[in-house]
Amino acid sequence: MPSNDPVDVLIIGAGASGAAVAWSLADTRMHIVCMEQGDWTNPSEYPTNYPDWEQRLAGSDSIDPNVRGRDTDYPINNDDSPISVVNFNGVGGGTILYAAHFPRMHPSDFRVRTLDGVADDWPVSYDTLEPYFAENDRMMGVSGLAGDPSYPPKQPPLPPLPLGRLGETVAQGFNRLGWHWWPADSAIISRPYEGRDECKNLGPCTSGCAQGAKSSTDITYWPVALRKGVELWTRCRVREITVNAEGMADGVVYYDAEGEERHQRAEVVVLACNGVGTPRILLNSTSPQFPDGLANRSGQVGRNLMFHPVGFVRGYFEERLDSHMGPQGCCMLSNQFYETNPERDFVRGYMMQIVRGGVWPWTTAMQGAATGDIPWGPKHHEAFQRRFDHSANIGVLCEDLPEEHNTVTLDPELADSDGIPSPKISYTLSENSRRMLDHGVARAKEVMEAAGAVDVVGGGPARIAGWHLLGTARMGTDPETSVVNSWGRSHDVKNLFIVDGSIFVTSGGVNPTSTIQALALYVADTMKKNLATLFD
Amino acid sequence: MNDGLIASDAPFTPEEREILGALADTLVPASEDGVMPSAGELDIAGYVAGNAADFLPELGEILAGLDAGFAEEPLGIRVEHVKAFSEARPESFQRLLAEVYGCYYQDARVLEGIGAGAGPPFPRGNTVEPGDLSLLDPVMGSSTNWRREVPR
Repeated sequence: MPSNDPVDVLIIGAGASGAAVAWSLADTRMHIVCMEQGDWTNPSEYPTNYPDWEQRLAGSDSIDPNVRGRDTDYPINNDDSPISVVNFNGVGGGTILYAAHFPRMHPSDFRVRTLDGVADDWPVSYDTLEPYFAENDRMMGVSGLAGDPSYPPKQPPLPPLPLGRLGETVAQGFNRLGWHWWPADSAIISRPYEGRDECKNLGPCTSGCAQGAKSSTDITYWPVALRKGVELWTRCRVREITVNAEGMADGVVYYDAEGEERHQRAEVVVLACNGVGTPRILLNSTSPQFPDGLANRSGQVGRNLMFHPVGFVRGYFEERLDSHMGPQGCCMLSNQFYETNPERDFVRGYMMQIVRGGVWPWTTAMQGAATGDIPWGPKHHEAFQRRFDHSANIGVLCEDLPEEHNTVTLDPELADSDGIPSPKISYTLSENSRRMLDHGVARAKEVMEAAGAVDVVGGGPARIAGWHLLGTARMGTDPETSVVNSWGRSHDVKNLFIVDGSIFVTSGGVNPTSTIQALALYVADTMKKNLATLFD
Repeated sequence: MNDGLIASDAPFTPEEREILGALADTLVPASEDGVMPSAGELDIAGYVAGNAADFLPELGEILAGLDAGFAEEPLGIRVEHVKAFSEARPESFQRLLAEVYGCYYQDARVLEGIGAGAGPPFPRGNTVEPGDLSLLDPVMGSSTNWRREVPR
């Protein structure tokens, strides 16, 4: 419970990275408190328990916080961006609503300057993180198939999720083209694991998993961390991190569930609020020592925002593919175009993610009405039956390179229910990303045609697709050009650490949660090894 | 003043409910093979009252705007009426369509008819075929294509 006594470690945010770092640091038996602005979620209240689950997905349980509009959310100004931020605020954070596609970043992703002459190399490598990837896979519960030739050897702890008719059909298209594909690594358990029951193919994973098979951190890391003594305070919304006369972080100002302003002292502060929430707090933490925001002497806080621009291609098939059922984002992937090829008109590359779902009954009817494919009236049933359960989707997930002008700043007018300034997103799609996206969409259409699709549509970038929030407090060895060092410690404030996606140097072309959590475990491990000299 | 209201929590007079039923029938008629019911067979008024009460006043206006004889018209004529309405008031029509479809595609008979299984996904679940992993043979036979950090 809150008190005036300082805690040893105060973690802000109980999502993917906050849970992992709390669990790891609990080994130290320090007094660790995590503050989370949202609540615990109750799986029995997830939309898939209710007949109107599709309508809930479009409203009260939307992935878009501006649509969801809960008092635990904060509004986000996306007006200056073609891609809107999606997130969830509560214990588990974004893992509550993520699709749980769980690829690791590739070795080359950490060396883009050396290999391709763009952006910057990371101060850590794939090899450094590999043990933490593996540990995180065990903690989260990851299903997959060993032997993917597009990765160094790795062994998911659980067998892969089913391909289904949809996966088989699209796989044949890849095979006809001679292109790489592989069953996806998924943070969804295909067998009973650590007291949780296996996936039963509900479909809409992005609404929260009522079965508990999707590995969100509220049911993976947090129960263990709490048993190890970590305290998790919900409904505590941090406004700013405070500093003492020496310029060290000494606590946070936050609002409790009743909206009362409080101050909590801390010896160490760890930020785990994602690539939008973290710069928001840092920029709001101004003081005479840090007039431009905490840990921002480099001027890099809030800059270099990276999403993954996403293109979507849908193929319609004569045969029924069971498209509405099974893990939504986790069928298979292709890394055929992942690495740089100098013969293309862009640098770096993209992953093709073969997904199901999103084509549920009501959604199919509404999308069909919007496109004119499924009319109302006498022809409705015939058209509906041609579309429903007859489609497959490919998401083209493009690596986004860092650009300083893509930013998170504080909105001068918009604020959350406690009056804390909201984030404003300013983002433009680069020419490199545009070319990559066009290339990917064209290749995905080829796959669908090779697989036998009778009708193929697609485009991008998708607007409500800002799932991956990266780069706004980047790692680096140079304090002039980066915010944190190679193990997440602020260059400017020696007892301030950042463990979320904001410390990414580049984005890779994969869903980032696996890498975010591996980094958090690595940072925690390095902190533990350096406890005696942590602030030197 | 309340004469004509049926003894139910659902809104609308019997006449309005008849028009609403015909309107829903027009949007989603029964399938020719009889497998799929028409939307008019469902309790659209009750659905809107329970799930989209903010739409009730607008729905009342829509019903009032239709001729009293609308429900008696043959389907082809009703389609023309609804088409004219959709062009005159596209936003109202979109909302109407969303609510009618919302009611329709939650109905157990409808969900079973399209092969989706009745009721919400949980706890029912679905069975997905495992798929043939021998399709991976050509991929496994390919050379390793991940790029090393340092070119060799």
